[in-house]
Amino acid sequence: MNDQTLIDKAKASLGDKVLDITNPAPRRIFIKLKVDDLLAAVNWLKNEMGFTHLATITGVDLGQAFELIYHFANSFTCVNLRTEIPRDNPLLPSICQLIPGAVLYERELQDMFGIVVQNIPDGRPLVLPDDWPAGNYPLRKDWKYERPPEVIPGGKR
Amino acid sequence: MKFQIPIGPQHPALKEPISLRMTVEGEIIRDADIRLGYNHRGLEKLAEQKTWIQNIYLTERICGICSHSHTTCYVQGVEKLMELEPPKRGLYIRTLVAELERVHSHLLWLGVAGHEAGFDSFFMYTWRDREIVMDILEIITGNRVHYGINTIGGVRRDLDEQQIKHILDSLSVLRQRSEYYKHLGTNEPSFVARLAGVGYLSREDAIALCAVGPTLRASGVPMDVRKDDPYAVYDEVPFEVCTAETGDVLGRTVVRIKELFQCYNIIEYLLKNLPSGPVAVRAPRRAKPNEVVSRYEAPRGENIHYIKSNGTDKPERLKVRAPTLGNYAATIKMLKNGFIADVPLIFAAIDPCICCAERAVSLVDARTGQEKIIVMNDLKRLSRRLSAGNIRKREAEWPL
Amino acid sequence: MLTKLTQWSRLKSPWILHLNTGACNACDIEVVAALTPRFDVERFGILLKATPRHADVIVCTGPATRQMKDRLIRIYEQTPDPKFVIAVGACAMSGCVYRGAYNVIGGIDQVIPVDVYVPGCPVRPDAVIDGVVKLLNKLKG
Repeated sequence: MNDQTLIDKAKASLGDKVLDITNPAPRRIFIKLKVDDLLAAVNWLKNEMGFTHLATITGVDLGQAFELIYHFANSFTCVNLRTEIPRDNPLLPSICQLIPGAVLYERELQDMFGIVVQNIPDGRPLVLPDDWPAGNYPLRKDWKYERPPEVIPGGKR
Repeated sequence: MKFQIPIGPQHPALKEPISLRMTVEGEIIRDADIRLGYNHRGLEKLAEQKTWIQNIYLTERICGICSHSHTTCYVQGVEKLMELEPPKRGLYIRTLVAELERVHSHLLWLGVAGHEAGFDSFFMYTWRDREIVMDILEIITGNRVHYGINTIGGVRRDLDEQQIKHILDSLSVLRQRSEYYKHLGTNEPSFVARLAGVGYLSREDAIALCAVGPTLRASGVPMDVRKDDPYAVYDEVPFEVCTAETGDVLGRTVVRIKELFQCYNIIEYLLKNLPSGPVAVRAPRRAKPNEVVSRYEAPRGENIHYIKSNGTDKPERLKVRAPTLGNYAATIKMLKNGFIADVPLIFAAIDPCICCAERAVSLVDARTGQEKIIVMNDLKRLSRRLSAGNIRKREAEWPL
Repeated sequence: MLTKLTQWSRLKSPWILHLNTGACNACDIEVVAALTPRFDVERFGILLKATPRHADVIVCTGPATRQMKDRLIRIYEQTPDPKFVIAVGACAMSGCVYRGAYNVIGGIDQVIPVDVYVPGCPVRPDAVIDGVVKLLNKLKG
């Protein structure tokens, strides 16, 4: 199977759920979806196309919305499902029922972007420190970090 | 009766800070939990403030063992964004360093596995031979660990005849030593008995939990980015994907030893077929707005970078997924229903690189279910305090 | 007499605790490589210890991350006196490339006092040995 047959199958099976489909490089397919259709698309990829390996989930801050890219891979291509959620209501369905290995990536999204993942089996913080102030999401573009002044041991000479 | 046992962040079995919390019944682990964040440095945010060139050196410092894999993954993504075609010789040298790094990483891992299995002379042997690889890398690139050889559009240093001869000579020594390790690692009865059956991960679980690299291949899934999604010059180089069917720590050892021999073959092929010509092309300072997904087979598994550019000289977003993070979910599965004594071995078997993945110890009071984060040595203090209320027979006579 | 004896006993066989406070693994591997046959620090009586309670010298690698800060202080307090700290690598000295990242406080010296700084990114095993020897010379006089 090559990229073109996969694109044709995606158009046939997912129908009008697919908003946009691009193939910018060999073995790279980007499929754009609405967030409500995400679970259906993941289910289709996993059960009908055999894409069982989720490489990672990337979050990107677009300003007004968060873009999420689910990178799936198998032995011949890499499919990237792209979806967007509004910034003021960042709700995302969890795909852990379909792919149990996604939980760490979803926890990371919660930490770094403040996205609320619904039905996540384990929603505790993953990477940020215990004393991290609530409401600070480092990978949002408007979050700036001010480095506190350093102390020079023994004083400046 | 269930207890929770904390391990880490500072623990003799773990060389890097990570905290594991295990629920045990007697000696058997019923549940395991991992807390990351001790090594989280905020690299993805930092990368957005640095230029394309600066980020090469930043991604190099994601990890000290697979430093070349992160830069290659990043650099080949940026080359696609900038629409550059690196010269063949540059790609050959890049692949050569990548394979040498795989050799050094696998030798390192073999030593660590030997150490965790209580076979310290194996550790000393493999680490002594690792120095041969480090010497080669130092001769080629000028550095032992952070090679700094990748640049956007190729590599920074060329090879000469003398260096090629030196590498080939060293390779024959390494091959001979690896034969010995192969014999030792698969025939030495006590070593095999320690590794066989420990940390079992079935084929189905390995696929469902998105395991990567030798962990996945040891469960019988022949998945290797070098074959599936060839980058650099892997579509020209003949090599085999090594798998094992056992799915335990022994299988992971066998896979890595087999891969060592594949690496030697690849290195030999690359050196014998090294094309002539330049090693790098000039790169522009800016990249057009675009996005790219770059994949790379690091010694530990699939490494994936997502890079988005916005037309400036800085990336809009750099997402790094290191192989170890992909293996955590599988590790928890492996730890379950195993013994506490196997924890270091199982944990070492995925070849954890915590610094890659990131980028306290917890104690649950079994009676109240109240959770507290404490350090290993506070456990003693706490146990003393808890037992202070108990009436002890201080004057009781020693029974013997 | 007694001070001479204590000084002599401090000079012999410094036991080290290797602590990673957020390093990229490069310095850690080089510290461990210093124990292996090529460099072999054990011939000087330098032993790598697993717990801070047994150690005399804490060898710290990596920038101090926010999450590790409290643990670093606790481990420093658990080490018996006299204790010495060697900051290994550019990260442990100042933060190196991670300077300015939100989860990094800076060098180790922002959290605990440091006696010897060993520069390099990463340090070579020879430099680690040199650092320990410099520390011993410092104690001597």
